[in-house]
Amino acid sequence: MFGIEATPLSSIEATRPVFWIVMGVSLVIFAWRLSRASPGWDGRLIMSGALLLGLGYMVILPLHHAGVIAPAKAPAAGNSDAVVFWQAVRMTVMNGGWLCFGLGLAWHAHLMKPRKNSPCDSSPHPPAHAPRHLPTHRIPSRKSVA
Amino acid sequence: MPPDTSPPTAFLPANPWLEALVAHSLVLDVLGLVGLMLIVVAAVRLARRHKSWGGHLMVFGAACLLVARLYLLGEAHLGSEDFFAVIGPAGIAATIALPPLLLSFGLAGVVWGLWGHDRWLRESGR
Repeated sequence: MFGIEATPLSSIEATRPVFWIVMGVSLVIFAWRLSRASPGWDGRLIMSGALLLGLGYMVILPLHHAGVIAPAKAPAAGNSDAVVFWQAVRMTVMNGGWLCFGLGLAWHAHLMKPRKNSPCDSSPHPPAHAPRHLPTHRIPSRKSVA
Repeated sequence: MPPDTSPPTAFLPANPWLEALVAHSLVLDVLGLVGLMLIVVAAVRLARRHKSWGGHLMVFGAACLLVARLYLLGEAHLGSEDFFAVIGPAGIAATIALPPLLLSFGLAGVVWGLWGHDRWLRESGR
């Protein structure tokens, strides 16, 4: 009906869409569990990226592999506008999914949070703008500051 | 009037935005690569700071995906006859077999690593 070529069920070509679907479902479930454990923008970004990737791995890539969505290299097989549309959808979903997922994971790992430089930092070379406390200096306590 | 023999997907009109998006696909591919690089760096941070074994798996998976996608992107530039003559038959076989393997193992590594990190989060929260 859709021009799907019959392949043996045990072949690698036949199992690849199954692998994609299983991985897509697993990715969405695990990202949902992780987003429940870490509420905030990191969880939302991870979940949205996983949803985009799940759509790509569960729906678009298997359809593309089955020939329902014609590849861009052979536009003569179907309508060229539909080919361009599905190509744009596939690229947007997959790349946007990885970008959202990466941003969420970077947020989750505190990659974008600047480090706090306390004046009493024990690093051997404190930054030049930081106030220097010599051993003879008295560090003000919280009570005296208040 | 002859019957309409166009395929069922012919309802889509021609859209110059979509054509421009497909024509400049390198931008989207670079965004995807940036996302994979962020996953690698974030997973390294998770693995080193929090000793999360899921982070190690995510590093492996995202690195595999990154290498495979970089190769697939650069294939148009590398895939000359001189290049294939240099790498020989074994290299040509590797260029055919390795990208799908790296993509599959990379995806599995990222998913398994995400599961491991989620499990580590729950165990450490107890």
